[in-house]
Amino acid sequence: MKIIHTLLFGFVASTLLFTGCFTTPESKQENVPKPTITEESMGLRTTEIYTEDTTTASKTEYTSAVPGTSHKFKRAFQDAPPMIPHSLKGLIPIKADSNQCLSCHMPAMAKLVKSTPIPKSHFTNFRPSTYIMDGKVIKSGVVIRNTSSESLSHVSIVKQGKLVGARFNCTQCHAPQSQGNLAVENNFEADYTSKDGASRSSWIGTKLMEGIDTTTSGY
Amino acid sequence: MSLSRREFLKSSAAASAATAMGMTIPSDLQAAATKAESHWRWDKAVCRFCGTGCGIMMATKNGKIVAVKGDPAAPVNRGLNCIKGYFNAKIMYGADRLTQPLLRVDSNGAFDKKGKFAPISWKRAFDEMEVHIKKALKANGPEGIGVFASGQYTVMEGYAAQKMMKGGFRSNAIDPNARHCMASAVVGFYQTFGIDEPSGCYDDIELTDTIVSWGSNMAEMHPILWSRVTDRKLSDPKHVKVINMSTYTHRTSDLADIEIIFTPNTDLALWNYIAREIVYNNPDSIDWDFVKKHIVFAASPVNIGYGMRSDKEKSVIDGKYTALEMEIMDKEQRKVVSATEAPALKPYGYKEGDIMENKPAGLKHWEIDFEEYKKFLAPYTLDYVATISKGDPDEDTTAFKAKLQELANLYIEKDRKVVSFWTMGMNQHTRGTWVNTLAYNVHFLLNKQAKPGSGAFSLTGQPSACGTAREVGTFCHRLPADMMVKNPKHRKIVENRWKIPEGTLNPVGNQHVMKIHRDIEDGVIKFAWVNVCNPYQNTASATHWIKAAREMDNFIVTSDGYPGISAKVSDLILPSAMIYEKWGAYGNAERRTQHWRQQVLPVGDAMSDTWQWVELSKRFTVGDVWGAQPLRGDKSLPDVRKKAYAMGYDDDTTMYEILFANEEAKSYKIDKGTFPQKGYDNSECNGDSRNVIGSDGTVFKGYNFMIHEYLFEEYASFGRGHKHDLADFTTYHKVRGLKWPVVDGKETQWRFNATYDSYAAKEVKESGNSHAFYGTLAKSLSFGDLQGIQSKEKKSLYNKAKIFARPYMDPPEMPDADYDTWLCTGRVLEHWHSGTMTMRVPELYRAVPEALCYMHPQDAKDKGVKQGALCWIESRRGKVKARVETRGRNRMPKGLVFVPWFDENVFINKVCLDATCPQSKQTDFKKCAVKIYLA
Repeated sequence: MKIIHTLLFGFVASTLLFTGCFTTPESKQENVPKPTITEESMGLRTTEIYTEDTTTASKTEYTSAVPGTSHKFKRAFQDAPPMIPHSLKGLIPIKADSNQCLSCHMPAMAKLVKSTPIPKSHFTNFRPSTYIMDGKVIKSGVVIRNTSSESLSHVSIVKQGKLVGARFNCTQCHAPQSQGNLAVENNFEADYTSKDGASRSSWIGTKLMEGIDTTTSGY
Repeated sequence: MSLSRREFLKSSAAASAATAMGMTIPSDLQAAATKAESHWRWDKAVCRFCGTGCGIMMATKNGKIVAVKGDPAAPVNRGLNCIKGYFNAKIMYGADRLTQPLLRVDSNGAFDKKGKFAPISWKRAFDEMEVHIKKALKANGPEGIGVFASGQYTVMEGYAAQKMMKGGFRSNAIDPNARHCMASAVVGFYQTFGIDEPSGCYDDIELTDTIVSWGSNMAEMHPILWSRVTDRKLSDPKHVKVINMSTYTHRTSDLADIEIIFTPNTDLALWNYIAREIVYNNPDSIDWDFVKKHIVFAASPVNIGYGMRSDKEKSVIDGKYTALEMEIMDKEQRKVVSATEAPALKPYGYKEGDIMENKPAGLKHWEIDFEEYKKFLAPYTLDYVATISKGDPDEDTTAFKAKLQELANLYIEKDRKVVSFWTMGMNQHTRGTWVNTLAYNVHFLLNKQAKPGSGAFSLTGQPSACGTAREVGTFCHRLPADMMVKNPKHRKIVENRWKIPEGTLNPVGNQHVMKIHRDIEDGVIKFAWVNVCNPYQNTASATHWIKAAREMDNFIVTSDGYPGISAKVSDLILPSAMIYEKWGAYGNAERRTQHWRQQVLPVGDAMSDTWQWVELSKRFTVGDVWGAQPLRGDKSLPDVRKKAYAMGYDDDTTMYEILFANEEAKSYKIDKGTFPQKGYDNSECNGDSRNVIGSDGTVFKGYNFMIHEYLFEEYASFGRGHKHDLADFTTYHKVRGLKWPVVDGKETQWRFNATYDSYAAKEVKESGNSHAFYGTLAKSLSFGDLQGIQSKEKKSLYNKAKIFARPYMDPPEMPDADYDTWLCTGRVLEHWHSGTMTMRVPELYRAVPEALCYMHPQDAKDKGVKQGALCWIESRRGKVKARVETRGRNRMPKGLVFVPWFDENVFINKVCLDATCPQSKQTDFKKCAVKIYLA
């Protein structure tokens, strides 16, 4: 009895949907759903999740190439942080008194050893100076109490002769890349606005403020 | 006029810079600039990931995101993002985005719990949800339906979900993953300040002299805050001190002047040691004027258990837990006082070997006097604390003691500003609430709290844990703006505001995240919906919950952008719009609310979680949900239909009409010609060019009112004038966030400080005090000693905060002969939570493609496992395989391993223990006992 009901319902439903397809051409046709998609066919883990016996993680395979001997990675998009093409063996951890990345990537040395130079944005401080004097909190030279939001006129751009402290932890943005296959492909498409956008930072000068007033922009 | 490409780009940049700076530019150039900009559109948005809440600038072209940069105008991050922040550009473009609903079916297309998945229409998806919700309500009342909510909901999504759950279904079984992340901090705030609010803000970093990180790998988990700490440290390396308090060495240690590696759980003893140093050895450092005016001392019961299942719960009685599991779970009833904790428990009348009978005590506490607090502190001598807390067996005890002394000295040093930051190490803790309150103790005694450059500050883990989960109140026990479901006045306020009958709201709110899982395993919850989280990957003792979802008579739904573990174990999967495919708002750890607009259309037929809730509400009428409803323990909810009729509703009025498309909602107009709506998609309000076939089988054309603004403004109305003030919707689209409370257009930098907080200023008008701790929760206490209440008479603690006596105690599971190693779990910089988004970004995946088992080289040798080899990590609950890493970014002491949880292939939560802080119900993911052997 139950089976007949289900079959009948399925028949009626599909008939309705079928006829519906003719009457409302913009609506999409729905066939009887077919159980075709397994748990294992979806997502990052291709083994069943109920046992761990046959499951192993994807192995990390960073390059063993020492600095200067490998091809640089394309930047993922305009002004994206470049990834690290060489081994970090012996180069990290970065400590307050020792940052070995700087020895090859500071602009002057980078020119000599043909490494990716640290761009000008990293020598530009966007944080307004903030300190306490005589018990008062001072930001950009102004005593603050309860601020209204720091508006666009408070954007502070100060060029510094040295690397900005906030950019000292290189591995916060730049990482080595394991070889081998991705777990899942990604369909993002980069659109470089400068000819050498895949290899060089363009985020300097007036570009720093590009698009920043979002109350007026739009297509 | 023709311009070269170079001139063209130059003029475009000059124009926007000039506009922003308020300068005028020649009109020729302006025209050229507008043209150039027509290809790329920049807009401000918020990072999808951690609680830092960085601002990003996002570029779109032809309906796709093409670039992300740090927003120079965003006060949080000033032009800089971390690696995850930049790659927000790619998170929505994984090739396996969910594009249509999927249901488990049999060969006839009927729902079949054991079936494979098949694509279905939105209409069919809502049909199934309606059927199974009605079935669950019929079986077990409102407690039979549950929602796994999120600290990653937008404010509007969280508000919509809570409104339908609590106002519509009358169920409080909605609780966020923020329970696993923030709950101990929240109960700490409530108990200390009477209000769920951090006092400080991120500007403390630039203003302080000392940064102490407790159980928080800020360098990886709050990288942009760490970049600010780094900047501060490097600006004055001799004077500025950084101290890392951790159970192992990690990247935060790399910048630190002092690193203190302690044994898991002994942070309780370390805080009490510093307090003892102040009280016994440096009494002059106590600011008695501040303490007398602002502080009371308090105590609470210690025999409160560990938040595990008790032996009276159904699944335990039914034998669903193995003998091995019960070895630990039995401690929920009673435990033997150990040699380690005996000295700390002596003032409470316990000695080594005593049986401690555990009893649920809730949040009970009472006032004690300073002498009693002093008595409580007596055991925490340098000798005792160093003995139990030294976490690296290879470290010399004398050197370790010297570091503890130096730590205390830095806190105590007069005029030295100190910030204490913490995250999951102190929150994910079976005494998480306790250790949170202990942090404030030290700062209060020294008058170094709620002041520029000084304060104990809990960093939130998630982008809107503070905003959506806490302020909106998407917890089982809460309502918006710090109100509680058990408080009849609060329920009435909410019922009035929501225009629902008095008595609709359910006063019983106890189904927190762990309870929801356990209720599913007990067969109480028959319908559960996963929103913006991944509870089947992120919950400890995972095997139990997966089994309950797959093998019992229930219906589990997951809404997500990608098929993660939770989607796989579900019966129905719904394709959700992801962050930049919808309008939204997040509230970060420093109380900053930040909004963004929909940047692009969702993929396939994906729609936002707000839309999913609102569409579901169309399926339920007054007659369906507002009759009398049964609750557990012979309780019930009244029939409120008559009151509903009196309000003009009838049995057929839908929850949609009452909760979402009411007259007030419709007053928020669509205005495509004006900022902020002009030029931006709005799939929920206007429909969109995809012509998605909606929940009724016809093309969804939009609600035709500005539902995002309505939901935000209605939510905000609860807090305005009640110390949770927010600005209006449009203002947030103009600014880079505002720190609430926003009073007279001004944000609040330091809560409770009369100089900076207008609410505090009002309170101290007569007294002239420097601070007012004006929270109202538990602000009237009885008096007693450490062991209990002596005088029941209650005294008001108006405007005061509390210093708590809370002792060191062992966690329920510790290494022993069989399971000889501590396991700690957590995150890595490059991945977010369960990896659902970040594992699909090529650069992030390649940066860290697998979860490693970080281990001391000698431990690896002793266990016969080599660097890079696979090992089994096995606990009483389960085992997983991972590769051994002895040389990586995390450098472990002997006896402790760290395994992050982002990797589906290293399902570490099968190994973890679901013990929680009994007060906050937050799971301790930081410690359990395992054995390691070659795989």
